[in-house]
Amino acid sequence: MDAQKYVIRKRVGLPGASIRIVLEKAKSRAFLMPCSIALAIAFVITLYIAFILEGEGRDKLIGTIISGLMWGGVYAIIALGIVVVYKATRIFNMAHGGILLFLAYTTWWLMAPDRQNLDNWLALILVACAAIVMGLVIDRVIFRRMIGAAPLITFMMSLFLGFIFLHGLTQLTFEGKSQIMPKIFPEGTIAVGNYNLPYDLLFGFIVATLMFLAFVLYFRFTKSGLAMRCVSEDSVLSQSLGIDVKKIYAIAWVIGCLAAAVGGVLIGTKTAVYSESGGMGVYALYRALPIVILGGLESIPGAYIAALMVGLLESLAGSYIDPHFPGFRAVLPYLLVIGIMIVRPHGLFGLKGIRRI
Amino acid sequence: MLRTKTQWVLLLAVVAFLLSIPSFASAYWLTQLTLICITVIVVLGLHILCGLCGLISIGQAGLMAVGAYTAAILTTRYDIDGWICLPFSALAAGLVGVLVGLPSFRLKLFYLAISTLAAQEIILWILKYRDFWDVTGGFTGLQMEPLTLGSISFGDDGNLYILGVILAIIAAFITVNIQRSNTGRIFVAIRDNELAAEVAGISLFRNKLLAFFIAAAFAGVAGWLWAYSQLRVNPSQFNFGDSIFYMGMIIIGGLGNISGVFLGAFMLEFMGILNSDYLAPYAVDNLPTRYGATILVAMRYILGGAGVIMFLIFVPRGMSGQLADFKNFYRLWPYSFRGS
Repeated sequence: MDAQKYVIRKRVGLPGASIRIVLEKAKSRAFLMPCSIALAIAFVITLYIAFILEGEGRDKLIGTIISGLMWGGVYAIIALGIVVVYKATRIFNMAHGGILLFLAYTTWWLMAPDRQNLDNWLALILVACAAIVMGLVIDRVIFRRMIGAAPLITFMMSLFLGFIFLHGLTQLTFEGKSQIMPKIFPEGTIAVGNYNLPYDLLFGFIVATLMFLAFVLYFRFTKSGLAMRCVSEDSVLSQSLGIDVKKIYAIAWVIGCLAAAVGGVLIGTKTAVYSESGGMGVYALYRALPIVILGGLESIPGAYIAALMVGLLESLAGSYIDPHFPGFRAVLPYLLVIGIMIVRPHGLFGLKGIRRI
Repeated sequence: MLRTKTQWVLLLAVVAFLLSIPSFASAYWLTQLTLICITVIVVLGLHILCGLCGLISIGQAGLMAVGAYTAAILTTRYDIDGWICLPFSALAAGLVGVLVGLPSFRLKLFYLAISTLAAQEIILWILKYRDFWDVTGGFTGLQMEPLTLGSISFGDDGNLYILGVILAIIAAFITVNIQRSNTGRIFVAIRDNELAAEVAGISLFRNKLLAFFIAAAFAGVAGWLWAYSQLRVNPSQFNFGDSIFYMGMIIIGGLGNISGVFLGAFMLEFMGILNSDYLAPYAVDNLPTRYGATILVAMRYILGGAGVIMFLIFVPRGMSGQLADFKNFYRLWPYSFRGS
């Protein structure tokens, strides 16, 4: 499908064929049912909040929901990194957490007043360059040799790369202590009803959503994005059509690392930049994993919606279950991962795997 | 069981050598070798699970923690003798392992790996949970007394090392037996082609859970030994980095070969010893002091990670594959180019 579209695009240049695919997906039942369930639940909750709940309970619920959605946006950009790399290269990128950890520490090192103390904008541009370089290095040095290898081997390799190698490298290069990220966004809060939404969370959400949208536009409307979609359908066929598959792999890894950089910076401004007990890498990866699995490994809008849902769930669990079971909020993502994988392993919007006999 | 009498003699000679080490080795080496024995037991369990049955599990450190904590809680709170704790450790860890393995009826390959990693984090979270602190001792953990058997005290390094070697030999014996038995053949059938195995009448779910139970029991025994070698247990001793290293040992050694277990375990552990004895002090001396104490762990992670990645790229069949290639080369020399 996408292969034909690439040929058409090259000759004629029509962007309209992609809409047909979305409509085809929408016609299948798998797309409509979760959407309608989610909309119904959201509707019921809105009515409940607006009319039945009063006073302090209402403020708490509104605050929980809003902060959950904001966090969900931040998790979405992290999940995007995993989804893009999987879509293009079929490699489950468990190294995402380690990359995020390394880039967050790089940002701190560039911006901290007692280290390099660079200007905010300069530091962020340098981190973006570092992310691009890192993506290219990881693709070229490590994963290019593994094209066509058994999925277990690439999975083990990404596991080792992220959890072990990058973790150790970060601790060695950046001294392994928790650090506070200097503020990028202005201080203060904005009042939504009775709830004070901190500016950095709001700006984090806006930045993450804008980057997500930028990627979706790239994916949908540029020629290179179309090539990436083609490669994700069938890489051998794309190669035979003249698409440079290795270049697309490199671009996918670069986008994954950029997404990790953005996610790491946003999480770091909200919580500290830390690497103990697994650190930010494990924290971010395990928030991103249930999102990726819930949204379906191959679906980009699914990643965003699932991110909002997981952020909301985590926030609700934090407000309502934590007083009874302290620390539950930390273990919820792990329970979610196991639960989602048992109940619906292909997620809400993913493609159902055909079992080959 | 081995093929020739020479092999039996060599094996007995090696075992005799191992058992005689305490007479001439220093205490430092004895503790390191005991840790290697513990690692070998855990990785043997993982071999049954992953090498024979094909189920990837990155949760062995959590199961070790269950075994160690069972031993610690039973000895400190209920005053049960240390030796009786051994089957209890194995049993408790085995049951938790079955729980960890429950998703295997639905999940394949790397989804199962992710769920075992998540399950290990849940186990560690439960051990750190605030309401259980009066039982588990919280972040400081529990203190234990050394084992005794009659007049032999196992607080001594040499005696503990001999216990470790004996347990490792028994574990290896059990693993080889399982591999050659009906159960082992069932596991290999499940690994090779699940659908064919099910068609041939093998109950998939039950045997997968059995594999998880056995692997977890091995990890529980290793945890028991760990508890008695460290004489204290706390949650920070078990992290997922260790679990990932155990998996790496199997892959470096060669997936599916029992000699691969020993090769991989020895290689990674000796690399760790090399790092902590020679490389890390060099780095600590040369880097500014603000780097603190994390250099040791960080360098082990970097070297181990880089090493395993190199192995995965260049030696995909593992060290036992290379050994088999070398034996082939030796057997066919000077016609080694022929290949068979």
